Amino acid sequence: MALTPLEMAAPDVTQLPDQEKEAEIAGRSPLQIALARLRSDKIAMVCSAIVLIFVLIAIFAPLIAKLFGVEVRAGDPSSDTDIFNFPVIGPPDHGFTWKAPLGLAPNTGDDNLAEWLYGARTSLGIATVSTAVSTLIGITIGLVAGFSRGWLDRVISFIIDTFLALPLLLIALALAPIITLRFADQPTTLKYAQVIALTSVLIFFGWMQLARLIRGEVLSLREREFVQAARVMGVPTRLILFKELLPNMMAPIIVSISLGLPFFVTAEAGFSYLGIGIVGVPSWGQTVNKAVEYFDTYPLYLYAPVVGIFLLVVALNLLGDAIRDAFDPKTRR
Amino acid sequence: MTESEVAPASSAAGQAPESYESAEHQSAAPPRFDRHAEAILSVTDLKKYFPVKSSGLVRRTIGHVQAVDGVSFEVRKGSALGLVGESGCGKSTTGRLITRLYDPTAGSMMFQGKDLATLSHKAMTPMRKEVQMIFQDPYSSLNPRHTVGTIVGTPLRVHNVVPDKQVLGRVRELLEVVGLNPEHYNRYPNEFSGGQRQRIGIARALALQPKLLVADEPVSALDVSIQAQVVNLLRDVQQEFNIAFLFIAHDLAVVRHFCPEIAVMYLGKIVEIGDRESVYDHAHHPYTQALLSASPDVKQAAIGGRRERIRLEGDVPSPINPPSGCRFRTRCWLAQDICAKQEPPLLQIGKSHKVACHFASELNQTPPRPVTTGLLGVDDQGNHDAGSTPTTLSTNPGYDDEWYDLKSKSFVKA
Repeated sequence: MALTPLEMAAPDVTQLPDQEKEAEIAGRSPLQIALARLRSDKIAMVCSAIVLIFVLIAIFAPLIAKLFGVEVRAGDPSSDTDIFNFPVIGPPDHGFTWKAPLGLAPNTGDDNLAEWLYGARTSLGIATVSTAVSTLIGITIGLVAGFSRGWLDRVISFIIDTFLALPLLLIALALAPIITLRFADQPTTLKYAQVIALTSVLIFFGWMQLARLIRGEVLSLREREFVQAARVMGVPTRLILFKELLPNMMAPIIVSISLGLPFFVTAEAGFSYLGIGIVGVPSWGQTVNKAVEYFDTYPLYLYAPVVGIFLLVVALNLLGDAIRDAFDPKTRR
Repeated sequence: MTESEVAPASSAAGQAPESYESAEHQSAAPPRFDRHAEAILSVTDLKKYFPVKSSGLVRRTIGHVQAVDGVSFEVRKGSALGLVGESGCGKSTTGRLITRLYDPTAGSMMFQGKDLATLSHKAMTPMRKEVQMIFQDPYSSLNPRHTVGTIVGTPLRVHNVVPDKQVLGRVRELLEVVGLNPEHYNRYPNEFSGGQRQRIGIARALALQPKLLVADEPVSALDVSIQAQVVNLLRDVQQEFNIAFLFIAHDLAVVRHFCPEIAVMYLGKIVEIGDRESVYDHAHHPYTQALLSASPDVKQAAIGGRRERIRLEGDVPSPINPPSGCRFRTRCWLAQDICAKQEPPLLQIGKSHKVACHFASELNQTPPRPVTTGLLGVDDQGNHDAGSTPTTLSTNPGYDDEWYDLKSKSFVKA
């Protein structure tokens, strides 16, 4: 049963070598190398696709809503709901209809898909702004505290400790009625005031963890010999902080961002669910709040925002993990 | 790291023609010491005291660590001064003072007509091109997040030595000089071995074409076989670019191989300094003799003879509260009353040989009376002698043409 020589496939060795050697030697920045590694990571690619879809939904929410022919706050309780306050078209009592792909809300008759699309916009918007600002504040304060030993470091550390001691939920609870009272006579201003207040509260309580982390990292890195080497070479302090030290802190920063984004998404939804977040603008948290009591009769109403939050948070977490691995030259996969 | 990635790197290192033997043939004998050569760095009475703070809310200074306490020496153009001593004796601090990683407490460091000790950090920047440093630990002296190209290119970019477009070419040249494959431009330090990393560190230090290189234990973190390669590489670049070295080490064999001039430090002070032959073959300070007796000697091992080992008792005293008089007296087997009362001056006892000891002599030829009494104006017990006046001693960091002859106990001229 032996193979005859003719049956064997010719070895295809000839194509392999030389190609890599020919490649031009050119400077590749660490960022390019990290991106190349990220591109070969399947999980990262799937997650970034999911995140990208959510981002696109958030940006083009009005267009997509128009495409489906739905609108926010277009419901009319008298014509769109029956005597039990349930919608007259679509789920749960009637079949699927293109008029309202996710159905209508009980009581109001508002369109769920439109609310969901605009809710994604609110969620991502608030989460992104909060994460970006609190990360910037955290990095700056952490770098300054870590590099300026002495009294400045002690003052900043004390402020960080003070902020960590403040209860986030309590302050948000206290702030909500104050804002509502202040702008009670201006409904349009109230909408934005609530969004800004929520974002500010999230930023206010979001920067300390990262600042503390960065300070610790700087303290451990500043005595390393490569920092001293940079000083011997005459590299200015500003460049030492941002070119020598900061790249070594990419991992904690990216972890902090990747944990911060989903945290802020859930925090926004949670606050809105508790009724201390935003009221005038559509948001997933509010929908969850309203949908909980209908879960046994109208589960789709609750599933839509929950699946949105879940998918976004999981994708962000996994993506953060993958980015951290891509930036760490010591990981091999 | 996988095997395949190691292979090209190690073959590149293999191209470098290095072993102790072959290099010894190449560059013949180690460079001779010339005491009349021009000094490129002249350090006088350099001091560095680190404050010791109390704990608690109000942190008062309760003492000082006298890490470096008045050292003077010269580094000659294209030559190398070896600085040896045990851990904590202040040799690394001295190196860091010269590169101004620390600000000196007192003293001067003259370099090309400028005093590095008093320059502001801004005024120091142009001088950084001339004075560079090689670090001890190749695993922490390279930024793990930068590629080799960035690491070696940083000094070029910071000082605008070459236009941005030529940085890549220059870096590749430098990598070739230190025996690395220029194609490793894009790799990260963690892909290299310790010896290769140290070569990267050397390439970075060479990038600015310095006149003085402070090498802070450049080989002590490496394997012995790699040590030889790196030391010979340093020798090669020294000869090629005419760089002066301040070579800090605790390995006497490496220093002997590399440095024509050697200074021995103990507890923040130089106890003996001189050319290689004076220090290694005619050591006059008991501490130097103890150090030398502790270093293994291949020749003697081959013959089978065994030198007498000098065992020093006890620990190095605390630099916060050093002993009075001679700092070595607590561990010295020759110590007498005078050693506690009078600090021995760093006295020139030969053409290019200085020693700080009241009983300076070669091993087992200890003089019965202190040799310094006449100069300091004291009697044999170190008490002030009304009958004699102290002689003003030279404070020249280099070597004078007139020195104190121990045999005749008088000043003689060259």
